[in-house]
Amino acid sequence: MTFVQVRYGATDSFITMPDGSVHYIFGFVDLTGVPENEIFARRGKATLLAPLLEVRVGDRVELTLTNLGMPQRPDLDDSHTIHWHGFPNQISLWDGVPETSIAVPVGRDFIYYYEPKDPGTYMYHCHFEPVEHIQMGMVGPLIARPADYNPANPLFKTAYGAGTGTEFDREYFLLISELDPVAHEQVHRVQEFDWSEYRPAYWLINGRAYPDTLHTAPDGDLSQQPYHSLIQANAGEKVLLRFINLGFEEHAITILGLPLRIIGRDAQLLRGLHGEDLSHWRDVLYFGAGQTVDVIIEPQQPALYPLFNRGYHKNTNAGATPGGMMTHITVYPAGTLPPQPGPGF
Amino acid sequence: MPTQATANGSPTIHLRAVDGYIITPDGASIYIWGYRDETGRAAQLPGPTIIVNQGDTVTIKLTNELRENVSLMFPGQNGVFRLTNRGAVPVGPIYENGRLVSLTDYVPPRGTVIYQFVASQPGTYIYHSGTEINKQVPMGLYGVIIVRPAGFDPLDPATWSAYGPETDTEFDREYLLVVAEIDPVLHEAVRLGKPYRPSTYRPRYWTINGRCAPDTMLPDRATYLPHQPYGSMIMAEPGERVLIRYIGAGCDAHPLHPHGNHTRVVALDGRLLRNGTQDLSHKHFTVLVGPGQTYDQIFQWDGLGYDPVTNPIPTPIPNLRNQAIGDVGWTMWSGSPYLGQKGDIPIGVTSLNVTGEYYFMLHSHSEPQITNWGEFPGGMMTMIGIFPVGTLGPEVGRLQRNSRANSTRERR
Repeated sequence: MTFVQVRYGATDSFITMPDGSVHYIFGFVDLTGVPENEIFARRGKATLLAPLLEVRVGDRVELTLTNLGMPQRPDLDDSHTIHWHGFPNQISLWDGVPETSIAVPVGRDFIYYYEPKDPGTYMYHCHFEPVEHIQMGMVGPLIARPADYNPANPLFKTAYGAGTGTEFDREYFLLISELDPVAHEQVHRVQEFDWSEYRPAYWLINGRAYPDTLHTAPDGDLSQQPYHSLIQANAGEKVLLRFINLGFEEHAITILGLPLRIIGRDAQLLRGLHGEDLSHWRDVLYFGAGQTVDVIIEPQQPALYPLFNRGYHKNTNAGATPGGMMTHITVYPAGTLPPQPGPGF
Repeated sequence: MPTQATANGSPTIHLRAVDGYIITPDGASIYIWGYRDETGRAAQLPGPTIIVNQGDTVTIKLTNELRENVSLMFPGQNGVFRLTNRGAVPVGPIYENGRLVSLTDYVPPRGTVIYQFVASQPGTYIYHSGTEINKQVPMGLYGVIIVRPAGFDPLDPATWSAYGPETDTEFDREYLLVVAEIDPVLHEAVRLGKPYRPSTYRPRYWTINGRCAPDTMLPDRATYLPHQPYGSMIMAEPGERVLIRYIGAGCDAHPLHPHGNHTRVVALDGRLLRNGTQDLSHKHFTVLVGPGQTYDQIFQWDGLGYDPVTNPIPTPIPNLRNQAIGDVGWTMWSGSPYLGQKGDIPIGVTSLNVTGEYYFMLHSHSEPQITNWGEFPGGMMTMIGIFPVGTLGPEVGRLQRNSRANSTRERR
């Protein structure tokens, strides 16, 4: 049981696609531990994705949202919120929906408070004019650990708690989304965008398109896109993949050569009312916007396995191939990689 | 007066296929085709909700007041017949001169056709036209059939369940959410008698029960929405079991996401998620409703935070001058973190909150669908209102046979 305090700022910045195109985004920037007199310097430094929020059941979580404003859009006085998507039995005050509670105006703070009850994979995003603010990039991954989580003990290094059959050796989150460059351009140029004209041209994993998904080293061009999605493991290990769909489309994710054991959906262990085991195998994970799916793979052979979108036109960057929603799973001989320090590394 | 089924085991429902207009919150008036019953004057969207009992022999007369052939299909029902002078004949696809003209027996303009089937399975089903389907169904010729399980008594809450005793589908209130899309170009083409290419289908409006947000939150039978009689505001008290039925009546999939809590999906397409004694129900925070699918779910909200005496979670409210409330001019918030309490709302902001209830949004997470022709807020969005204990009457969240109401008292 920990008292977790984090602070995120809402602001803007730019991201880069592998074809060199630059796109204006809204987003969150991590302000946790940043001295008050340095907060202003974080304006214009939003990241896509927003920081991973990692908590444990039983924690007390205080999340401060600071609206830093948009240096590129000084005219824009939009408020922002944090919506913990899927938080069970939420009260409206902490739900982050401006129409049903409070939003945070430019230059102000608001403190959200959570006591996580159910482990699993969630997401968070801004819910102010959500069609615009989500597409513009105000999205982040959220992991709630079970109360008995202990990474030092294999029996307690689980997604849903000891004894649930969800043990893993490594874990990665894959937040998938799309980018319509016309929408981003219109917002940057202070023009109206007709959201019924939404037509993405880039498909992203963790805010990047292939081949940038594979770049593990810090990269100047990707300074605002901190999360690669190169999945690495040793042969024989259990790898937990936490899929989060925060785009607006359905997606069909497949890994050539590795079947997917689906163990959880929407931050719920796949169990029936009387404890029936509803976990199942899939070769293609087809899921919709606002859903999360927990998958365990157990690669046995050292090899390179491609992960891609079976909707093949989504493996492109503005029409150029290869690109888009694709990454690799690199499997090494047993014992090659040291233990993973945290999700995604 | 209700003209829908009576509980005598052989209800007869008379529908008419007619035209009419609906309105959208951005001021558009959209020409539709739809069904009406004897209580209506023009097409309504969706068509009248038909409620029958398991085992009923259901007779549905369809009179065609449109300019072209029209029909009714009953997906999920087995053994649908057309009644003729020579007896009952099974319905089926109709070919004329080698061309498929209808997926089922149709009726020409000014004629009447009589369909009959036995409602053998409880659950949530769709009905819609089977003729010129890529035009007539998006034009609005769709509605819902609910089949009550054997033993269901509308006057005895102890018998209320979606699928019968021992199915873990008991409910205290129930709501029906039919989702669909509207491409206004199709509707205008049909109104003017001009051609329309279905491959250019591009929705600009997304509807729940034929309405776009914020009209979705208006009451049933709102007089200013005469042809969109069904609201979709969900209202319940803490701990109550709320049956929410989703029906996909359009051509696209819609990921429906309720705030507040998960829903437990108990049935799909009118079939209980059970395999013998094995329970296959599962909780979701987003359900992807595909075209033609129906989902039955139980939603319950029993969260903390509604007791200002024990104050189970810290809820400091900052100075509201430093917060944004009601940026759009109104808010549904009470001004208080507590259920049943009201607090201060900044001057100039209208609070639509009645009695300190909580509101949770329920919406498509394919967010362009929560706009009206690209403009947020709108589209496929409504609210779940959690009201303080004892504030909701028994008439709230009751589906009844009268087509013009979705939630007033069911009559025998």
